[in-house]
Amino acid sequence: MNARPLVSRAAQRGILGFALLLVIWEGTSRFFALPTYVLPTVTGIVQALVDGRGALAHAALYTVGEAVAGFIVGAAIGVALAIAITLLPWLRAGLLPVATAINSVPVAAYSPLVLLWFGVGPSSKIVLVAMVVSFTVFLSALAGFDRVDRRSIDLLRSFGAGRLVILWRLRLPTALPLIAAGLRVSTVRSVIIAIVAEMLGADGGLGWLIYQAVVQIDFVQVWSAIFVASAASLIFFALIGFAERRVIFWR
Amino acid sequence: MSIVDEARSLTQDAAPVPPAAWRPSGRSGSARALIKTIRVAVALIVVAAVWEGMVRGFHIKPAYLPSLSAIAGAVAIAPQAYAAGFIRTLTETLIGMVAGSAFGIAIAIVFFRARVLREMVFPIFIVSQTIPVIAFGALIVLWFGNTLFSKAIIAFYLTFFPVTVNTLLGLESVDPRQEALLRSFGALPQIFVALRLAASLSLIGAIVGEWFGDTTGMGVLLLQHMFNENFEGLWAALIGSAILGTGLYGFVGALERRIVFWGAAS
Repeated sequence: MNARPLVSRAAQRGILGFALLLVIWEGTSRFFALPTYVLPTVTGIVQALVDGRGALAHAALYTVGEAVAGFIVGAAIGVALAIAITLLPWLRAGLLPVATAINSVPVAAYSPLVLLWFGVGPSSKIVLVAMVVSFTVFLSALAGFDRVDRRSIDLLRSFGAGRLVILWRLRLPTALPLIAAGLRVSTVRSVIIAIVAEMLGADGGLGWLIYQAVVQIDFVQVWSAIFVASAASLIFFALIGFAERRVIFWR
Repeated sequence: MSIVDEARSLTQDAAPVPPAAWRPSGRSGSARALIKTIRVAVALIVVAAVWEGMVRGFHIKPAYLPSLSAIAGAVAIAPQAYAAGFIRTLTETLIGMVAGSAFGIAIAIVFFRARVLREMVFPIFIVSQTIPVIAFGALIVLWFGNTLFSKAIIAFYLTFFPVTVNTLLGLESVDPRQEALLRSFGALPQIFVALRLAASLSLIGAIVGEWFGDTTGMGVLLLQHMFNENFEGLWAALIGSAILGTGLYGFVGALERRIVFWGAAS
């Protein structure tokens, strides 16, 4: 790491941008005395965050639990599928078109079916998150395994290395940055999908909270849930990004 | 890692599937397209036959998988609802996609020219992408009413930022010494990566937008059939949405091969 100022100029401007947004937001809302269903004040939302912290934290943990469980299952399936295709090339012609075809169906379209199959509990959300994450991770892992230089494989093979050795020594290290990138994209997506699925039916979580707040026309509550959901997504994203920088130090 | 890369990793598949023309072949373009069409058609017929045969042969319950003929029957009962829903969702998706892409490209050009503006506003856009679409949808429907327009806005919201990020990446990857016109050509492959993404995101926005108590659309059909546990109807709506998704994606892909004839970005 180079010695850099604690907060770079870009970060300073970013913080300034956020500060301006909050000031303009608060000012507009107060000056025009907008009703809360149009735009509540920032201070009002923060107040609601503090007042409802117990319920919000509970809902956030519920949703993040579903998202993380689905994320882990999906990542494992995605990497396993990519390894299977790499070790058994004849699988590729069959699996890849199917994966691409299913991937082009919007998540929103199959979530009602998954909800009917797995019920309104957390399991349907975990399944949905796992499906989406596994596609993303599968495609990026496969691209990573394919990225290996043909000549390096031939070289290893001339030393008598089998497919497994080539996978472990050569393909996996080459693919890791792409797999990590796939994981990073999946973080925010998995939280959002868990929330979208909760809206269709659930017994808890941020999506359920938002849905109920919408029905009760309590828009300060909607906004406070939005704040919590964004924060949860960003923390998840940052944690995976941090782990990525620790593991893939050679990048 | 720059903030643009960071944003890209928030909004885009790390390794998008390359467009169809990625396997070099000696055949002419039209012959290749014909062979590809035939191959896809054969594959679809085989899948349909296996599907129908399996459901009938193993007596699979409709709750797990209804037969294709039963699904076709569900459409035949109320073809108007499906046709109207299809067109409605397609319209919303197209409006959101075109508006989102145009706005995304325009914003990217502004950000490319004005670095200060970009550093101030870009992080806000990134955070906006973590707002769950249903929460945003609830607000939009409240602001603009339960209209086609508000669904298009939700589709637009999901679409514009990935387009901005990819256009910006495209503009930056081009040699700065090139003329402005050439530069915009250089950014085209990356812009098409964004448009392919925009097609699928815009459709998701339209479908989810319809969940807020609309009366027509694929999203409405999905929701109604879920509540009624009508599996045949649900599968019909699912297949309709799948056709919309693949169709739009394929359309953008075809446009890309036409316009970016010198090779697509991967």
